Amino acid sequence: MDLFLQYVANGVVTGSTYVLVAVGLTLIFGILGVVNFAHGEFYMIGGYVGILAITVLKLPVFAAIAVVLLAAAVIGLLAEAILHKPLKSHDATNSIISSFGLAVALQNAALVVMGPQPQRLNLDVSKIPILASIPTDFGPVFLPQQRTLIPLTMVILIGVLYVILKYTWTGRSLRAMAQHPTVARLCGVRIQSVAVVTFMVGAGLAGIAGMLMSSIFFVYPVVGNMIALKAFTVVILGGMGNVAGAAVAGLLLGITESLTSAYLANGMRDIVGFVIVILMLLFRPQGLFGKVAERS
Amino acid sequence: MLRLENIVAGYGRTRILHGVSLTVPTGGLVALLGGNGTGKSTTLKATVGLVDVQEGTVELNGEVINDVPAERRSALGLSMVPQGKEVFAAMSVEENLLMGAYHRRSDRAGIAHDLEAVYIRFKRLRERRKVNAGMLSGGERQMLSIGRSLMARPSVLLLDEPSAALAPRIVEEIAEAILGLRDLGLTLLLVEQNVGMALDIADHIYVIRGGRIAYEREVGDGVAMEELQEFYLGGSEH
Repeated sequence: MDLFLQYVANGVVTGSTYVLVAVGLTLIFGILGVVNFAHGEFYMIGGYVGILAITVLKLPVFAAIAVVLLAAAVIGLLAEAILHKPLKSHDATNSIISSFGLAVALQNAALVVMGPQPQRLNLDVSKIPILASIPTDFGPVFLPQQRTLIPLTMVILIGVLYVILKYTWTGRSLRAMAQHPTVARLCGVRIQSVAVVTFMVGAGLAGIAGMLMSSIFFVYPVVGNMIALKAFTVVILGGMGNVAGAAVAGLLLGITESLTSAYLANGMRDIVGFVIVILMLLFRPQGLFGKVAERS
Repeated sequence: MLRLENIVAGYGRTRILHGVSLTVPTGGLVALLGGNGTGKSTTLKATVGLVDVQEGTVELNGEVINDVPAERRSALGLSMVPQGKEVFAAMSVEENLLMGAYHRRSDRAGIAHDLEAVYIRFKRLRERRKVNAGMLSGGERQMLSIGRSLMARPSVLLLDEPSAALAPRIVEEIAEAILGLRDLGLTLLLVEQNVGMALDIADHIYVIRGGRIAYEREVGDGVAMEELQEFYLGGSEH
């Protein structure tokens, strides 16, 4: 039983990463209708920028987070200019293919700049005063601070995003654009501003996830491939375009993977999510929390 | 005042409008009538900028606005209540109304004042202000859609078939609401298939057929139902 809780906790840590990546992906799909296969690369870039900021620039961790956010937002801006702005009046297939192209370009850019060797962020969180005060023992569960930091950051960022979406003009304009783009335009919402904000937020969330995970797992140029597939799994499970659904499904996937790896076989870990997604598409294609589509 | 001058417009290479001209004088209530597929809705879409105008001019209060993108036109005082009672279904009634005021979102006091005015005009919206708009009845959605447009503080308001798919009793309510908008001093262009309702409330009518204005009369000028029906059924053009 004690180990069970430990496995669940481990699942929550990876699940939190899935949430951060998938929420941006589902926002970009839900609001702009863009299926972004380059989303995993936002995660990869976040990992590398985090490593550079802390090990090369010797920045304190919070300054490094700000640098990662900034870099990811710039990449988001670039991605919008490539995947959405010139293609928005064309068939959605165009942006899907372009996103594959962007993913390959970013992976190769990373290969040239950072090299093929996997790298890891050596971050001793216990030396950072605020973070050192986070406990490591939760009853039978042991979590080092850099692991606890991930769900903690996820809850804060998703909470902030929720408040923005629910209570600000920017948030309302994003939701309005997702629900009825024509009426949103008639109300004065500029699709271009919404698109830029959406891509920047999506890239920022994925970038932070990449940075936080780089202290636990290796970063390498194609690390984004698997994380993007996982994020797509989460988006489908949660219901395409459904932010709250993605948050719940991300945690569920993380926990399911962790338990599978513990009780079935480690090799089954990456398979289980895809099996679930296939079953979901067969029997409940709108996802766990999606409604039967009603798009205008 | 709204003036359309020889508007040619359509989708891609397909032309729907072949030179539509009409004028809605300040404070007037003009109805544009016509059957399905005659170009009524396209005329409104061309006016608000949702359809590209290939030739001709759209003039709002003396200014040509052809080059103003659709999302900036509500700030100029041009607002449209789209067809099909379109609302943001997963947002609350109040959020829907607020979206109408998006272009003047820094005017907090003005928005609060206008929100109250909409709730006084449409009491049912106040009762249901926390409810998601997707849960409203057809009539309530239509009121919400009109209320949202009012939040933009328009000078010219376009209404695209507000009576469509509503029960006769609700149509009467909507007709009264539209007359109430005229009393506010708004300039109104109403697109309708419901000839009876349009004749009851409009002071001038145009009939569109095949993308051209085929008929035009002052309502007080002895417009007879039979005369209009002749147009719907394909009678001679005037």
